[in-house]
Amino acid sequence: MTTTATTTATAAQSAGPAPVVSFRGVSKSYGAVRAVADLDLELHPGETVALLGPNGAGKSSTLDLLLGLRTPDSGSLSLFGTTPQCAIEDGRVGAMLQSGGLMEGVKVKELVGLARDLHPRAYPLDQILETAGITDIAERMVGKLSGGQEQRVRFALATAGANDLIVLDEPTTGMDVSARQTFWGAMREQALQGRTVLFATHYLEEADAIADRVIVLHRGRVLADGTAAEIKARAGARRISFDLDAPVDRDALSALPFLTSLSVSDNGSAADSGRRTVRIQSQDADATVHALYGLGAYPRNLEVSGLGLEQAFIALTTASDATSATAEEAAR
Amino acid sequence: MTTLIKLEIIRALRNKKFMFFSVIYPPALYLIIAGGADSKPIRGMQLDMGLYFMVSMAAFGAMTAVLLGNSERIAKERESGWVRQLRLTALPARGYVAAKMGAAATVSLPSIVLVMIVAATVKGVRLEAWQWLAIAGGTWLGSFVFAALGVAIGYLATGDAVRPIAMLIYFALAFLGGLWMPLTILPQWVQNIAEWLPTHAYTALGTAVEAGNAPHVKDMAVLAGYLLLFTAGAAWLYRKDTRKA
Repeated sequence: MTTTATTTATAAQSAGPAPVVSFRGVSKSYGAVRAVADLDLELHPGETVALLGPNGAGKSSTLDLLLGLRTPDSGSLSLFGTTPQCAIEDGRVGAMLQSGGLMEGVKVKELVGLARDLHPRAYPLDQILETAGITDIAERMVGKLSGGQEQRVRFALATAGANDLIVLDEPTTGMDVSARQTFWGAMREQALQGRTVLFATHYLEEADAIADRVIVLHRGRVLADGTAAEIKARAGARRISFDLDAPVDRDALSALPFLTSLSVSDNGSAADSGRRTVRIQSQDADATVHALYGLGAYPRNLEVSGLGLEQAFIALTTASDATSATAEEAAR
Repeated sequence: MTTLIKLEIIRALRNKKFMFFSVIYPPALYLIIAGGADSKPIRGMQLDMGLYFMVSMAAFGAMTAVLLGNSERIAKERESGWVRQLRLTALPARGYVAAKMGAAATVSLPSIVLVMIVAATVKGVRLEAWQWLAIAGGTWLGSFVFAALGVAIGYLATGDAVRPIAMLIYFALAFLGGLWMPLTILPQWVQNIAEWLPTHAYTALGTAVEAGNAPHVKDMAVLAGYLLLFTAGAAWLYRKDTRKA
């Protein structure tokens, strides 16, 4: 995946076509709140990119700026080398918004028909309905749909024609597990056809499973940018846990190499007091475990596992918060 | 864009309550007000009640359909995010407003025609063919002024505020413009204000034709002025809304 992404990026740069999306020093504030802060970002053709971040990280603001729904306070951005408005009018961008209301008082079929009419390179109606999985509700009135069905109709509107970029803001909110799988199946197909897909999500497993590039946003800035595996590695990749029967020398444990976090918990009853469970995060599990044996300890139930993207994500954002807190204190 | 206009018309026709209010209400009100009146001319005018109220109720019906319908629906669709979604399509920025105005004007036509049919059959109003056509056409074209006002209100107010604001403007314009009672029976100072209101100029088009004259240039100028004002206002509010959306 990494190689593919890198190759595409290099090819795009050497061949010279404009990147799909380009943000240069873009900032956007609402009153005193800085939603997007000096953001630099480039997306290249064919990438499937997840925009990840806690609530208020600036995901929706970034997408709004990208789609021209808001204008940046400073900096510049372009889509396909032109303005968002022009790119949208050319039918190069399909988007599914989080707060995208639907026209009421019309049938699903009629609404999709409208999206087709407005798209310069529209697909046949049946094909759109089929892809979005809404053939069975085509005759239904838009106002009488469930949350998950509405999401699929929005997806149909976003993919009514041949777009080069598809932007999705938390697309699977309100869908059940099977609907979500169907949805991502359809999305993968779009990506396989060479479309660039950008989606914001707070489902980390979606980012992990679908995206070949993950961008972590935090406080309106890019905190990390890479494959899911790279992000996990950056956060302190491995988790080691084991039990110790002998009394624990905390200082010795915390001096282990490549250790990024340590927790020791008392998990025994009074009968076997002294037995502790130790949990360690390490950037090099092999070296840490080797050094552990070097301490003369005898770890039982030793487990080494990869960090989930979720833990990596929390580790990254917490670390960033700690840094900025220190910086603020230093500034005082 | 034609699909959008078509859909806007379809959903307006499907909205039974709205259709009833805007199509049935004006002829019903016409019968209540002018139904029992004799055919003596109204004080200070050449026209009797049957003629005068045919024009004012046709105007009232058209205004109801375009002003109330537009303002409320636009405000609602801005809130729901549908307007945002539409802005992500190749629909040009003016397309949405144009579709709203076009659809509103289509809905207003039946209420105009119905008032005229009721006037002809029940009250026995008789006019030359050119007069019928001129009144229907003038009332219909004049309704675009209020359609633009409806768009402006829809972009000005949101949610709970839009209905009272639209109603207030609607009733004030209808009353002061002489849609509910001939202005000549109101105090002089009200008449002085009314002369410059779009509603007065609007009905004056029709009443002039009924009297066998061409519409006054002043009334047409007043209407054109308001159309310009409301359209510019709607466009300005639309752009402002685009920035904060």
